[in-house]
Amino acid sequence: MEDSSKFERYVYKNASVYHYMKISLVLEKENRNISDAQFKQLIISGVKDLYGEIGASFPFDLLKFDPKELTGILRVYNSGLVKLWSALTLLGSYQNEACAFRVTQVSPFLLALSGNSRELQFGDRAQVALRR
Amino acid sequence: MSVFMDLNIINSSDKNRLKHIIETAAHLGYSTVAINYVVEPLQKKQEIPNPQSISDLFDKFPVVQGKSSPIKVLNRLTIVASDASHFRPTNEYKKFDLVAVYPKTEKLFHAACMTFDVDIICIAVTEKQPFHFKRAPVNGAIDRGIFFETCYAAAIRDSITRRYTIANAICLMEICKGKNVIVSSGAERQLELRGPYDIANLGLVFSLSEGDAKAAVSTNCRSVLLHGETRATASGVIHTMKKPQILQKEEEETPAAKKARTELA
Repeated sequence: MEDSSKFERYVYKNASVYHYMKISLVLEKENRNISDAQFKQLIISGVKDLYGEIGASFPFDLLKFDPKELTGILRVYNSGLVKLWSALTLLGSYQNEACAFRVTQVSPFLLALSGNSRELQFGDRAQVALRR
Repeated sequence: MSVFMDLNIINSSDKNRLKHIIETAAHLGYSTVAINYVVEPLQKKQEIPNPQSISDLFDKFPVVQGKSSPIKVLNRLTIVASDASHFRPTNEYKKFDLVAVYPKTEKLFHAACMTFDVDIICIAVTEKQPFHFKRAPVNGAIDRGIFFETCYAAAIRDSITRRYTIANAICLMEICKGKNVIVSSGAERQLELRGPYDIANLGLVFSLSEGDAKAAVSTNCRSVLLHGETRATASGVIHTMKKPQILQKEEEETPAAKKARTELA
């Protein structure tokens, strides 16, 4: 008789140390050239305005940036998520021009940001797959 | 799960601007918005504006992102009251789905919480709160089902108003313990709108708990709508409807005494 297989159960209370945010910047005037350094500087200044020098002293990274669409992926520690998110929400102007940050997705796992049901498009590929 | 609502979009005479704001709101995921007509009765008899018909705005309402139904647009009236005579519930108020009051003095705040027939009480965002909130009227308002509203557009526009918004909001949350609070935009332009989850996160900054913060954008807003609907009814149980006109011909054939009693079923 075989021994009943032992199994272990792992329970992760908080599996990820980071949170990832997919954001996009919407400006009033559409054609603007913003580099990734300027983008990050804008976010840092927003956090500093809201929380001050000490409040803004948590690290976050801009992992990806698309200068044409002005979208990016940020990575921040769990402790700094609320501060960063609220700073992005309350940021209202970029160089005296009205702007808005649209937070598309927030997830503790980077993989979740790769698929987004908001950008899902049913096109010819789906029809081809059904025919097969 | 309750749907997200934004109950304060400042009305403007520019229809295009209003259309853009509502389209942005639908894109961000709000299922219902309310166009706010702010009235500040400075003279003795100021006219309450007539709410414009919603079908004038759109032929086809924009569909809410993530759902298949179009966005719902309501009308709301806000009275900026600095005197007790400013708030007089007349028939004009009945044309609006929601009625709100913005009290400027402590007496009016107490009166609004305890006696006024309103759905929403607005909290100052662009100035320092001229009076402190007391627990007694706030609890009275919570018992009556009235909600307190904070707008966040002022926090986006200017850093000074940002300080006032956050300070007044935290003050309110301390007294009401996070109950009966809604957060709405007060947006005048489409770039001042923010997504519903962003606002739920902002609730955490206002020292709400996570559950209360999300409820402030969803469940509590729905409660406000229902409160507004039942304002025109008797205790929310009975509401009146105009009876369709019965044809006069049928009644002439039989004399009144022999008419069948159809009213009491």
